[in-house]
Amino acid sequence: MTNIQATQSEQFQDRFGRLVAARLSAGTAELSHDVAERLRAARVQAVARRRPASLRAATTVSNSGGAATLTFGDEGQSLWNRIASILPLVALVAGLFVIQVAQDERRAHEVAEVDAALLTDDLPPAAYADPGFIQFLKTGGE
Amino acid sequence: MATERELSDFLKSVEKRAFKRSIYHVRDEEAALDIVQDSMMKLAEHYGDKPLAELPMLFQRILSNCTLDWFRRQKTRNALFSNMSDFESSTDDGDFDLLETFTFAEGSQQAESAEDTTRRAQILRQIEAEIQELPGRQREAFLMRYWEDMDVAETAAAMGCSEGSVKTHCSRAVQALSKALKAKGIQL
Repeated sequence: MTNIQATQSEQFQDRFGRLVAARLSAGTAELSHDVAERLRAARVQAVARRRPASLRAATTVSNSGGAATLTFGDEGQSLWNRIASILPLVALVAGLFVIQVAQDERRAHEVAEVDAALLTDDLPPAAYADPGFIQFLKTGGE
Repeated sequence: MATERELSDFLKSVEKRAFKRSIYHVRDEEAALDIVQDSMMKLAEHYGDKPLAELPMLFQRILSNCTLDWFRRQKTRNALFSNMSDFESSTDDGDFDLLETFTFAEGSQQAESAEDTTRRAQILRQIEAEIQELPGRQREAFLMRYWEDMDVAETAAAMGCSEGSVKTHCSRAVQALSKALKAKGIQL
């Protein structure tokens, strides 16, 4: 096919397409009233759903504020600021560890004191296992 | 950015054509209304703040996607129903010369009688029937290109294919339509 023929064919194709389109357009004018009304209602509903640009922008700002709070505001901050932001957590863990060690030590000291008192007393520890001695204590040591 | 009024006017200008196009695809008036409504909602909700010039292409794309979604849902609902083959390209028709097969009616600016009106309605129904018979992609390309008056580049962008594919689809659609209409003795 030569260029001229191809161009002619394209022209006829365009003309045919537009004639068919014109027929179809004439057909859309004959849509039933019910369909036209439902389309109108759908259009009104769709336009009502359109959010104004200002509202959309405000939503974005509030969202970014929420993100900043959740991430300790680390957006664009230095390494030192990040380290500083985890310091309270480190201090809390260290404090709990110190309290745990101190409580263990105090408990061991109390047990040691009781043991020392028992061992240094005149009464031998075996006496506490003797039923007669317990009876003697109950009767008031008479 | 398109104002609310501009968006409304745009939707008003395309809604009837969109409805008819959906009917050609799904062949069900209720489904076509749902598809057009969905498309309008999506356009307004997601692209309502886009410039007016971008709306036609966006709307056509949304409409195509909503139609495909409808077919997918139908396919899921009813395993026996499948019309997706409509979207496959058809086989080549071989050599075909449009100039030889179709002639245009000249000078149709005469007063229209009742008989003419009936005849015109019949021709419209036959044209619509033939358009429904076209493979899906050809129908899409043809209607976007000539009915929606989009250029080749816009049609290609809306259909998500190359400009060459659009030209091929349009050419095949015109060939098939002109053959079918000629066979029925219809002159445009």
